[in-house]
Order: sequence, then C-alpha cells, then structure tokens
Amino acid sequence: MADAEVVFRVKRYRPESGARPAFQEYRIPYRHDMVVLDGLNYIKDHVDPTLTFRWSCRMGICGSCGAYVNGQPRLTCGTYIRDVHKGAVTIEPLSNFPILKDLVVDFDDFLNKLASVKPYIVRKDWGDLSKEYTQYPEEVEAYRQQSLCINCMLCYAACPVFGQSHEFVGPAASALALRYIRDSRDEGADARLAQLNTKTGVWECTFVGECSVVCPKDVDPAAAIQTLKFLATMRHMRRLLMPGAASR
Amino acid sequence: MMRGREYPWKRRPGWWLRNRRYLAFQLRELGGVICAVYGLILLDLLAQLPVGASAYTAFLNLWRTPPMWYLNLVLFALVLWHAISWFMLIGKAQPIQFTRRPLPWKVVFGVNVLLWLGVSGAVVYLIFGGI
Repeated sequence: MADAEVVFRVKRYRPESGARPAFQEYRIPYRHDMVVLDGLNYIKDHVDPTLTFRWSCRMGICGSCGAYVNGQPRLTCGTYIRDVHKGAVTIEPLSNFPILKDLVVDFDDFLNKLASVKPYIVRKDWGDLSKEYTQYPEEVEAYRQQSLCINCMLCYAACPVFGQSHEFVGPAASALALRYIRDSRDEGADARLAQLNTKTGVWECTFVGECSVVCPKDVDPAAAIQTLKFLATMRHMRRLLMPGAASR
Repeated sequence: MMRGREYPWKRRPGWWLRNRRYLAFQLRELGGVICAVYGLILLDLLAQLPVGASAYTAFLNLWRTPPMWYLNLVLFALVLWHAISWFMLIGKAQPIQFTRRPLPWKVVFGVNVLLWLGVSGAVVYLIFGGI
C-alpha cells in the first residue's frame, strides 16, 4: 500500500519535436520497497505512456536500465528510491552518449569498440570439438571478475576521458578484452594487445577511477586497464628484444 | 553511426565539480603540472648561482616575501596531494602479489608513505644535519 508520494523529475527528449531535452515532473505513489525502475514503470503504465526507457530483467543482470539518478550513473532496477530520495528523484539519460529518445541512448559506438577487442575465445586450431576444454578452478578465477561485466555502460557514462575523446576504447571493452586474455583456452591475446596498445586504446586512460566506483558488478575496469597497460608494455618489449619469441 | 534525430551529447564545462572524485582527479593532474613548475623554480635558483651572491640572495629574498610564501604553501599542498594520490593508486595500478591474493592497496600505500618519509628524512638530515 502506498503511504506517500515521491516526485520524479525525468529528463525527456522527443526527437520529433526538435526541442532540446527538458525535465518533466511526475508525482507518483511511493512505497518503502520501490526501486527507481518501479517508479518509471508506474509512470509508463498509469501516467504517461509516451515515456521511453530501456529495461528487461529487473534484477541487475541484463544491464539495460542504466540512467543518471540524482547525478550518479546507476542501474535503476538496483537503486531504492529510499536511498536517493532527497525531495525529488532526478533521472537523466546516461551521459557521453547521444540521446535517441527520453532515457534511451545510442550504444552503437560501444558495440563497435567491443567487437574490435574480439570478446570471444580465439583459437588458431579448435582441434576435436567433441571434447571439452576443461579448466581448473584457479584458471576460472583468473578471469572471473572481468567476466561479470553486463555491458550496462555506467562506466562509460562516468568516464570523463571517454566524454572528452570518443575515440577512447573505454572501460568495459578493455575489461572484457582482459577477461579473454586471461582465459587459459584463448590464443588471441597478441591481437587484442596490438589493438589496445595505441593512443586511443588503454593509454588514453588517465586513471580517474570513476568507472570502478560506479560499476554495479565490481568488475573494476580501471584496474583492468592498468593491467592491460602492463601486458601491452611487456608484449612490446618482448617483440623488441626477442622478435622470434612466442606472442603470449 | 549517428542517426538523424539523435540529440548529440556535449560535455558540460565544470564537469569536474560534479563530484568530489572528479575534483580530486583534477587536483592530482594539476599537482603534476605544479611539480614541473617547482622544477623550473629550482632551475632558476641554480641559474642565479653563476650570476653572483647578490643575485642568489635577491632570489631567496623574493621567495621569502609573504605573497610568495602563500603561493609556496598552495603549490606545496598540490604537490603533496599529487604524491599521496599516486601512492594510493600504485597498489591498484600494479597489484603486488606474493600469495594467491594481491596485497591490499592500503598496505602498498602505507609502505610507499613510509619509504617516502624515510627518504625525505634522509634529505632533510643531509641538508640540515651537517653530513
């Protein structure tokens, strides 16, 4: 049962109108156990069906409901209103991306960057595919943290370097590159490090660290990028000093 | 590819005031520039030496005036923040691992601060201790 009301200030952009994005206020019933996504869905279902936002799983797995909530990039499904409610809940689309409509932004740029780091297992020879490629628990542990990334884009929204230079490969793509580099079944480390060892690759990162602060899955992309810098340097030195040595 | 009616994103001026971590980062970067400024000041000090004792004394007297004293305090605070904030990042940037788990960043920070204090103490002793 609703025992109070809460004000939602939602930034809206209607591409058909040609007007700049502007805030619209909604007053909705509030319960202690509501998350921000519940409020948005209430508006959509009962107040204004034209409000547009992405969501799917409602449990922090799909990574599609990210938005700025009271000035912080967050998953709206994992943010309780009671934790951010200071008079009003202000919701804006994720920064650093062009807005398609209301809270929906265009992620195409990220998807291209993600594809560039080959986010899948690369092997020169797959051998007998009827057999499993088994791993020891410690081999899984080596990449487990990075494998938790759900591509929610909160890290890109929080990254001022990406905001300045959209050429930067960015936090999530780098973390996922490291995830596959650390996978004992993978043989694509050399190609990925070559892709990332550039000005617009990992070296663009100035270690602000905000990507790791906002990550809802504790992937720690900032640390992943620093590790990639180290691996890229080692690869470079190895190629310089031992041109004939193995790439990995 | 940019679609026709997308609203392009533009970074706002003053973005680094949006939260205290952005501000801390900007001050850290500014501290790096200030380190270079300190280097130039020291080079200028060295440049006064061949000119003569009066030029050297005039230089020192200039840096002892109240405005320069306060400027020095601000510059020193920024250099201090630059050093401390990088010590805080070392354990995260390059985790040091002796066992299954890397050392916590706070331990690496503490060791760096202790080494720093030790080296600084040695330098102070060399200058004022009379070796």
